[in-house]
Amino acid sequence: MRLTKAMRWTAVAATTVLAVAACSNGGSSGGGGKPAASNNAPAKDGGTFRLGIVEPTAIDPYNVQESEGTLVAQNLFTGLTSVDVNGKISNALAESRTPNDDCSQWTFKIKGGTTFSNGEAVDAAAFIRGWTRAAAKDAASDVAYHLNEIDGFKALQDGTATTFKGLAAPDATTLVVNLAIKDCEFDLRTFHTVFSPVPPEAGAATNKAYNDQPIGNGPFKMEGPWQHNSKITLVRNDSYGLTKAHLDRVEISILNSANADQLEYQGFQAGQFDWARMPTEQLPVAKATYGPKNEWYDWDANGMNYLMPVTFNGPLKSKEARQAISYAIDRDAIVSGVFKGFRHKATTLVPSAFKDAFQDGVCASCVKQDKDKAKQLAAQAGLTPGTKLYFGYNTGGGHDAWVQAVAQQLKDVLGLDVQIDGIPFKELLKKEKTPTSTGMYRAAWGADYPTPGNFLSPLLATASINEDPATHTVQGDNAGRYSNPAFDALLQKATATKDLAERTRIYQQAEKMAIGDDQALIPLFTRSQQRVANTEKWANLTYDFNENPTLANVSQK
Amino acid sequence: MGRYLLRRLGQMIVVLLGATLILFACLFVIPGDPVGSLAGSERSRDPAVVEQLHKRYGLDKPLIVQYGTYVNKLVHGDMGEDYTQRRPVAEILGPKLVNTSKLAIAAIVFDAVIGAGVGALAALKRYSLWDTVVTLITTILVGFPTFVIGMLMLNLFAVQLKWVPVIGDPSDPVQVVLPAITLAIIDAALVARLMRGTMLEVLRADYVKTAIAKGVPRRQVLLKHVMRNSVIPVVTYIGISFGSLLGGAIITETIFNWDGIGMAMSTAIQQQNNPIVVGVATWGVAIFVLLNLVVDLLYAMLDPRIRLS
Repeated sequence: MRLTKAMRWTAVAATTVLAVAACSNGGSSGGGGKPAASNNAPAKDGGTFRLGIVEPTAIDPYNVQESEGTLVAQNLFTGLTSVDVNGKISNALAESRTPNDDCSQWTFKIKGGTTFSNGEAVDAAAFIRGWTRAAAKDAASDVAYHLNEIDGFKALQDGTATTFKGLAAPDATTLVVNLAIKDCEFDLRTFHTVFSPVPPEAGAATNKAYNDQPIGNGPFKMEGPWQHNSKITLVRNDSYGLTKAHLDRVEISILNSANADQLEYQGFQAGQFDWARMPTEQLPVAKATYGPKNEWYDWDANGMNYLMPVTFNGPLKSKEARQAISYAIDRDAIVSGVFKGFRHKATTLVPSAFKDAFQDGVCASCVKQDKDKAKQLAAQAGLTPGTKLYFGYNTGGGHDAWVQAVAQQLKDVLGLDVQIDGIPFKELLKKEKTPTSTGMYRAAWGADYPTPGNFLSPLLATASINEDPATHTVQGDNAGRYSNPAFDALLQKATATKDLAERTRIYQQAEKMAIGDDQALIPLFTRSQQRVANTEKWANLTYDFNENPTLANVSQK
Repeated sequence: MGRYLLRRLGQMIVVLLGATLILFACLFVIPGDPVGSLAGSERSRDPAVVEQLHKRYGLDKPLIVQYGTYVNKLVHGDMGEDYTQRRPVAEILGPKLVNTSKLAIAAIVFDAVIGAGVGALAALKRYSLWDTVVTLITTILVGFPTFVIGMLMLNLFAVQLKWVPVIGDPSDPVQVVLPAITLAIIDAALVARLMRGTMLEVLRADYVKTAIAKGVPRRQVLLKHVMRNSVIPVVTYIGISFGSLLGGAIITETIFNWDGIGMAMSTAIQQQNNPIVVGVATWGVAIFVLLNLVVDLLYAMLDPRIRLS
């Protein structure tokens, strides 16, 4: 407890002192637009790009999970596909990706003649090696579940097999994938780094030497092993099989997670970093300072913040009750009051970063606070004034202010007795999954690969409840236990649809059903991201789908 | 002396065992499964992976069995493996201990030299301008929180003047200066006040008057009689202070991104990365007990009237 307090004090101090310091910089007012994403200057090779991240869990693709690990792994490895900032997929090492009629088998044609940075060939066998290695039992990989549709995954996971039954390489440039669970959008998954190819030298996932210095086939390679909690240095891979990078080096400093955004911003101000996040309190000043210089980025990213009502138990069992809650919340007031406009109101579950699937306003109750409608729906649902409503959230994540605001609004509009419960993150995640959970929880989600299905399926499909038969706790990510057979059927129909436009339409129907009609989740705010970037020095510097700088394209001005 | 040392070391083992047991019990009654979700993420772990990790870390066994296994491994020099990166705890904490020690030693040297020096001078020139200024400054400094000093220094010297990088490199000796001063400055103020106080008292003592009356040169009086007797409380204070510094200075390490064990501890607590928490805490207890012993031994050296038995 004392530590948490200390950290909070540090944050307060940081804010105060920096605010004072920043004033002396002379903050000019004025809006910050987005710098032009691409300026077509002739790319000049060379230069060292510097940025800070927090210590990743892993940079070896078998267990890469968070944005920081992905930043490193995606520059060290190139897989079958890549995804642009709008969630559009394109071929990377794949030359074609073709499903059979019922999407139970996928054939990937791979570009021939490319190599790993140690000279070994990147062929179909390299992909099979990488996927098998990640799915193996001793890997205990946190991300191997993305491979779960492939035939033979279960046997690898429980250790009864050592080869991946569903994978075959008829020749060096053909990879055939047999799926146990049919999926017409399987190719989207291959964007995830767990689908990376690895050279024979990688060995098993438990190979510590490779974990710290992976040899890959990406635009960059490691200069030396990962210096834990200190730095990771990448250098250009001159034998890269696709368009080569321009930067000579990328120096990644590893920062303390408690105040990384603070350190990144200070580093940027001191000219030590070329790309940085900022503490929330610093955003207005940073925008005023760097916006006019075109060094400011602000966008709604792949992710969503929402309330997760418990739908099988307690006061929010009926959809009317959940809608009443949603109508009673004044999102606009919280956006301007708490977030100073640096987050936006959400009216969907699938974020605007999914350009084609995004359907603004699909959550009708999210668009505008409507006290009368809220009261009427609450009366209908028996959500009478004085009803106890549990509201769980995790402390230490900067959620306190808006959680308080939401609770106050529910109290004012509906007269509910909102019981706020701020607890540590892991405890929250455990509590919301118990069979006795009730009320609602603060939650957020981001997609691993660019399909609306990666929001809808893990969060809302009946299969994602995956109740443990012994303890009756939820083992999946659908902790609210929303279950609607019609919704499940739509998701199944979507993954069985080959035509992308048609599939997107089905996903939209599904989102309308679960969010618009059933209010299975209550969207609140977008996942908004802000960065300052040294665009004075670097050309083609922008952000990617994973919120990281596009290092492979950056060049000196 | 030898028997005394042996007894103290024996007590130390008992203290360590007790401390780790209490820690263990505390950590494992915290609700929430430490390996139930991905590090810092909302995502649940695959149940198969959770089960495997439970086995791997012995989390499926009763608490007392886990503790037994831990102690047994610890005796053999194995501190286990952490939950997120799955690397050996000793390998993770090793370089951090070195960094924390560098910072602690630099800070304590600053403490002792500046603090005791300034305090002694103030006592000798009592009620002079120097004494007044020292009293004033130390009074203000004692009331300052560490983070204010740290943030001010970082902003001035790294962000504005750019004399040192914001993101430091603990292997560069120049860069230890700012965090060490941050860490030491408040302590040094305390040491100065302590030194001034005790020294004034000693200066009034009969044996000092006698020595002066006997015609012993002033230099000798000061060094042999006054100094030696004034530093005893200061040594106690610095010894205890050094112990807590070696346990990791969370705030200073955080502000300067100094990769020490204080920072490791705060991150590990947030992630419920229990092997790291237990490892750091055990180290903290061990070093504290050890330094207390060193301080007691120093007493005997400084003051022959104190007998160790």
